Amino acid sequence: MIVVKDLWKSFKLTRQQRKEKGNISHDGKVDAVAGISFTCQPGRIFTLIGPNGAGKTTTLRMIATLLKPDSGSVTVSGFDTVKQPLKVKSKLGFLTGTTKLYERLTASELVRYYADLQGMDPSKFEKRKTELFTLLDMHDFASWRISKLSSGMRQKVSIARTIIHDPEVVVFDEPTVGLDVITAKNIIDLIRKCKDEGKTIIFSTHIMGEVSLLSDDMALIHRGKLLYDGTYKDFLSQMRAESLEEEFIRLIQEVRS
Amino acid sequence: MKKIIIVFKKELKDTLRDRRTIIFMVALPLLVFPVLISLASGLIISKAREAQEKTLQIGLLTYGNASGFSRMLLDRKDVALHENLDQEQGITDVKQGDLDALIVFDKKFDRKIEALSKGSVKLYTKVTEEGEIERQRVLKLLREFEDTLLAKRFQEMDLDESIIETIDIEEQNLATAKERLAEAVGGFLPYLFIIFCFMGSMYPAIDLAAGEKERGTLETLLTSPVDRFQILMGKFGVVVLTGIFSALVAIFGLYIGIRRMTEIPPELLNTIMSILEVKSILILLSLLLPLSIFFAGILLSLSIYARSYKEAQSIISPLMFVVIIPAFIGLLPGFELTMTTALAPILNVSLATKAIIAETISLPQLLTVYLSLIMFAVISIYLCSKIYGRESAIFR
Repeated sequence: MIVVKDLWKSFKLTRQQRKEKGNISHDGKVDAVAGISFTCQPGRIFTLIGPNGAGKTTTLRMIATLLKPDSGSVTVSGFDTVKQPLKVKSKLGFLTGTTKLYERLTASELVRYYADLQGMDPSKFEKRKTELFTLLDMHDFASWRISKLSSGMRQKVSIARTIIHDPEVVVFDEPTVGLDVITAKNIIDLIRKCKDEGKTIIFSTHIMGEVSLLSDDMALIHRGKLLYDGTYKDFLSQMRAESLEEEFIRLIQEVRS
Repeated sequence: MKKIIIVFKKELKDTLRDRRTIIFMVALPLLVFPVLISLASGLIISKAREAQEKTLQIGLLTYGNASGFSRMLLDRKDVALHENLDQEQGITDVKQGDLDALIVFDKKFDRKIEALSKGSVKLYTKVTEEGEIERQRVLKLLREFEDTLLAKRFQEMDLDESIIETIDIEEQNLATAKERLAEAVGGFLPYLFIIFCFMGSMYPAIDLAAGEKERGTLETLLTSPVDRFQILMGKFGVVVLTGIFSALVAIFGLYIGIRRMTEIPPELLNTIMSILEVKSILILLSLLLPLSIFFAGILLSLSIYARSYKEAQSIISPLMFVVIIPAFIGLLPGFELTMTTALAPILNVSLATKAIIAETISLPQLLTVYLSLIMFAVISIYLCSKIYGRESAIFR
């Protein structure tokens, strides 16, 4: 389970950004996340949606312990991300659309590296590796260097790397960005598989098709603030526009105006 | 510690598979000296041989004097004599390189010699970096002529030649061969391994920090249950190792280069080889370790701060001068290891190496060098870990 409570995070703007955005605050900082709270339950897919720069990635980075909140708290499987980051990381899998792999390692070596960092027992690793490599059809290129792999193959390695230690919580930050339809489907299948296994899943996207395909719960974030937090079904029932996409645009424009 | 080793092993494997790093770490230091030495020595030796063996083109104006000298030159096969020229033409020919020298005897030369006074001779040469050997050969000819005139004078006066010698100087140079070598070329060895230690560390440092950031692999690494300091230490270990390895390969390359030199005197070769004995190498290594840690700390700090590989390169490249300058000062004559210079990083390694070669280093000096290097190494690790812990540096 992920519990986010009154989370705040601000960043200092560069001179160029200050010029572009105007004076955001006295100390030249901008609130990327401004007091958001939500809970992600095990066995359910929580979708975080919002336009570019809404604060999705910052929120997910705080959940994944990459960034420290200015205030508020995040707990992952009961562990605090600031006080117990290593415990959190051992429960977590993290996959982003921009994540790259070590080009000079083979697929096998790469997955092994992350398993070693997770402190996996060698026999447990071999069993899990065989299981995942079979599931993702990776045996043929297991000994190839990443630099020789196609983007579809690379994505499979990324997936194997993310869940090799069988994490309780999986964070997906726009994982299908820039992928072709077949590779994106692999990711969608993985997310579903994780759900079936009872994992807690948080998934950020701005592709509405994926939202309708996967969401159990969802939150709409804009300028660091939550505009909606609830079940996907409830969101649909409250919708004033005709489609999900139009409703999304309507809500954002309402705030802007 | 286990996690540090995991990161270290992975980073080492990754680094060793990078062609660019291998070129800078192994190929360049291994090849540069054998190639440079054989090219330079081959060129110098052939030039010197050419200058030594060539026929000297000498212009001679005697105005009827010094007939013995003209005869002496005419008898020599290695001299081509040009007598039918005026002084101005002769000077122009020397300037243009058509003549190696123009010798002009004073019009009263013979009369002065007969009167037992000094006869004057003007020698025109064009000596820059080249031409010194030819000048020496011409001077030798003039000295030979002077000796015959002197011998004639003594004979006419019925005197023994030894009466002009009043002191018999017996000089003994008490500097050992190693001391002389240390002063002459001792600064070069530390210069060499300081530069290669830095260059060997540079590319892995950029690749493992800025490269990782640019390639987008940093995020996933940081979401693994490993402390940032452990990740840093794993990377640090690889950068230190490549720096040391690169410096050692450069020394090995120098060793091969020297061994391949055919014209080197055996005495000098033996002295050089005795410097490369186990004890000296171990002391040099003990200096190299903290130096490499110091370099690794600085290089990684800057690489972590940089947004990309390119930015890291542009930040680090000027640093090369900061390293070269103190290393170069060690090359200059007159700079010695003192308790003050022993505190200055890089310079202390340069000067200490010279002192180690000369076997003149004292224990307090060596300990001061260690202390200084270790202190700077610790500071660089601290700085590096501080930067690696900063969100603003990691997610710039």
